[in-house]
Amino acid sequence: MENKSKKLKAKDFITIGIFTAILFAVEFALGMLGYIHPFIVASYVIILPLASGIPMMLFYTKVEKFGMITIVSVLLAIIMFVGGMGYLGAPLIIISGLVADFIAKSGNYKSFKKTVLSFGVFNLWICSNYFPILVTAESYRKDLIDGGFSAEYANNLFAAINVKTIGILVVLCFVFGCIGAVIGKAVVKKHFEKAGIV
Amino acid sequence: MSIIDLENVNFQYKGSRDGSLNNINLHIEKGQTVLLCGASGSGKTSIIRLINGLIPHYYSGELEGDIRVAGHDIKQTELHKLAGTVGTVFQNPRSQFFSVDTDGEIVFGPENIGLEPKEIKARLNDVVAEMDLDEILGRSIFNLSGGQKQRIACASVAALLPDVILLDEPSSNLDFDSIELLRGIIMEWKRQGKTIVISEHRLWYLKDAVDRVIYMENGKMAREWTGDEFNSLGEEEVKTYKLRPVVLEEELIRDILGDSTSYFCDADEAIELKDFFFSYKKHPYLIFKKHFKESDGDLLNLNIESLKIPKGKIIALVGPNGTGKSTFLRCLCGLERDCRGKIAVDGKIYKGRDRLKICYMVMQDVNHQLFTDSVKSEVMLSMKAKDGKRCDEILECLGLLEYKDTHPMALSGGQKQRVAIASAIASDAEIMLFDEPTSGLDYSHMEKVGELLKGLASMGASVIVSTHDPELISECCDYVLGIKHGKAVYLKKNKEL
Amino acid sequence: MRLDPRTKLFMVFVVSLIAMMSATTPVLWVIRIIITLIPIVLLILEKKYSSALRFFLAYGIALVLLLFFISENSEGIIASLLIGYCGIVVQFMPALITAWYVIRTTKIGEFMSCMQKMHIPDGIAVSLAVVMRFFPTIKEEYSSINDAMRMRGVMLGGGNVLRMFEFRMIPLLFSCVNIGEELSAAAITRGLGGETKRSSLIELKLGLADYLLMAFLTAATVIFVMYKYFL
Repeated sequence: MENKSKKLKAKDFITIGIFTAILFAVEFALGMLGYIHPFIVASYVIILPLASGIPMMLFYTKVEKFGMITIVSVLLAIIMFVGGMGYLGAPLIIISGLVADFIAKSGNYKSFKKTVLSFGVFNLWICSNYFPILVTAESYRKDLIDGGFSAEYANNLFAAINVKTIGILVVLCFVFGCIGAVIGKAVVKKHFEKAGIV
Repeated sequence: MSIIDLENVNFQYKGSRDGSLNNINLHIEKGQTVLLCGASGSGKTSIIRLINGLIPHYYSGELEGDIRVAGHDIKQTELHKLAGTVGTVFQNPRSQFFSVDTDGEIVFGPENIGLEPKEIKARLNDVVAEMDLDEILGRSIFNLSGGQKQRIACASVAALLPDVILLDEPSSNLDFDSIELLRGIIMEWKRQGKTIVISEHRLWYLKDAVDRVIYMENGKMAREWTGDEFNSLGEEEVKTYKLRPVVLEEELIRDILGDSTSYFCDADEAIELKDFFFSYKKHPYLIFKKHFKESDGDLLNLNIESLKIPKGKIIALVGPNGTGKSTFLRCLCGLERDCRGKIAVDGKIYKGRDRLKICYMVMQDVNHQLFTDSVKSEVMLSMKAKDGKRCDEILECLGLLEYKDTHPMALSGGQKQRVAIASAIASDAEIMLFDEPTSGLDYSHMEKVGELLKGLASMGASVIVSTHDPELISECCDYVLGIKHGKAVYLKKNKEL
Repeated sequence: MRLDPRTKLFMVFVVSLIAMMSATTPVLWVIRIIITLIPIVLLILEKKYSSALRFFLAYGIALVLLLFFISENSEGIIASLLIGYCGIVVQFMPALITAWYVIRTTKIGEFMSCMQKMHIPDGIAVSLAVVMRFFPTIKEEYSSINDAMRMRGVMLGGGNVLRMFEFRMIPLLFSCVNIGEELSAAAITRGLGGETKRSSLIELKLGLADYLLMAFLTAATVIFVMYKYFL
């Protein structure tokens, strides 16, 4: 963009929309695995950051204006809600987006370290989906069983995700977010920079 | 009075020399229709982008000189302010839609500039009547043909009532009939007194429609003809400028439209196709029909019980859009699993997945077909036995050796296509299929594709190329195979060869 | 029948809300099933018979299996896979059907003006509209890429999981970025992003059907919450 204005413009909003759609398509494809076994639900913290690293790192190079990540997180929150994931996680999704945006901004959306850090934080939105499991643990368990899930599934789910493990999950999310960012950066370099479109 | 003024304009894209402009002085009178022609990368599109403001507001680079359009200083005017003044129809009908429904797309512009609902409604009705769009109103754009999409794109531009209308290679993805319709739209705009600038490779449909023709070469305006001079340009002269012909031969047009019925296959060796039946229409609701037979009749999108195709030759696959050409190619190479056709070559019979092994299709949009990060690895990916030496030979032969470490996506459109062809050669396929390989190409690239196809045939491959491009057919095809309503209606020898 | 997009959004809201609170008693199940049937009926009214039937069967079968054949004590691989399948369907299908109905029957123009009426910032409305418009594009592009992969025999990326992922992702991203560039150029040259307030051809108006449906949905939510938390 010739225009160096810091405000988001129509073009940026379209780019944001496109990458949100891609991000969601990736998550949706992988998210479906989760119902096979609850341990997969927990492993989202590893799979999703790694998989979404590539499109997101490309996205980081495309807009470079404050608000880009926040809006993605708002859109994700809306999509998650519409998709039946509930609203409890929504504020957390948006907060992680906002913080990620601030971190990236402090590096002018160019600094490698800040971008990696920012994406790590952004990925905490994945954990926000576990939030209802934690705060409402007992009733959620009962709900699951009454709602038709077997006790085995519920037990496994709570073995994987509980107040003790959530700390580990959050850390994993962040760490694999950073790893995903590093891999994503490498792929962007291998393909998109080499092809001259970034 | 001139409505478009480009004065001493120099421009270079950031990080690329392609399409840069050199000392452009262009003044266009109100109501004129101007054609920009010349090779790819000669700067045609850049001039269009100067007039609609995409340069410098969207595509950045170094820009000098003055640009004034209908009283606006383009450099100082924000893009959205030009919406009611300059309208642009882009090349790719697939990507220029914001809405999903046709009505919504036509009124998208008027809604953006905040017109009254009544006014919008009136404009919608006007445009629909003018362009005869009734039948495609209220549809999803994902179910439209390329030609229909391009008409909606024209309508959505016209609904803003711009004085200046720009068209950037609008016919690239259209078939013969749709191009005729496009010509009708341009003539209508001309009648309304719009100022029209068209950048285009295909020239025949603009004969008798343009007032001025500007020939671009390496970013300069190298030559200019008046409309009359252009209409009477001789075949030889057109060729020296590497332009596509201004006049098409009658017989070629008939071939393209599939107005013929003769059938014969005089080749000594033939590929035999058997039982190619296929339909996109699933049976109602839950039960999908997987096995199609001739008795399915009208349901079928492809209905070929048996067909002999000359082996080792280049066969042009022609016929109107939406009549089964792509379906034929997809079924032939086995991409449509539900088509149970068999291919017999040299006494061997291939069916099911085996078809994918002896066929290779170069798709219309080659971007989907390139996966790796260098031209060399792209070709190696296709080889069953990895052989670096042979890979280099193939690249050499296609003039790609100097790019072997380049990322395929960094290449130009014509080069990408050659990479796709190189991987096709590397796959050792006996039957090579091409889906519209030359629609958006300029004359010299088209010629080049023709030569490549001849090269493939001389190596013993059978080449089937679906095309709307009369020039390509006369350039290289041995036979013409006509498809209509899913049936092979004729096969004839191309006259010149 | 044309429902106002605001009614549709309200329906999305209610269905997601109810889907999120698990049904634990027969009354709650009944409400939940009724709520799920509404978008299916609406799909039928829009003459989208085949998707309505498919949704109905998928939901119905999963529901029957879940309620009558799978118990708390089911264990083992097959049961757990089955639970997984039925779990997804029963938990997310209601929201999915509603979202599907809304996306399929709401025009982008309608959606934009609805967002405007609800005072959502234009930027977010544009992004959200693009998300809606882009899913079919992603599907189209992906299926072309898939075809190309089959043609070249690289479906499994040579047995390398990373390459399998890379071969799908990279062309998809290149395509989407290109389409995005062209899409924004075409949208901006037609005036998107100006300071003038967008207008709309279709004037949104709540009709009788809208009010009835909204009242019904509200009542359903209230009863659901009452039964679940207070009775």
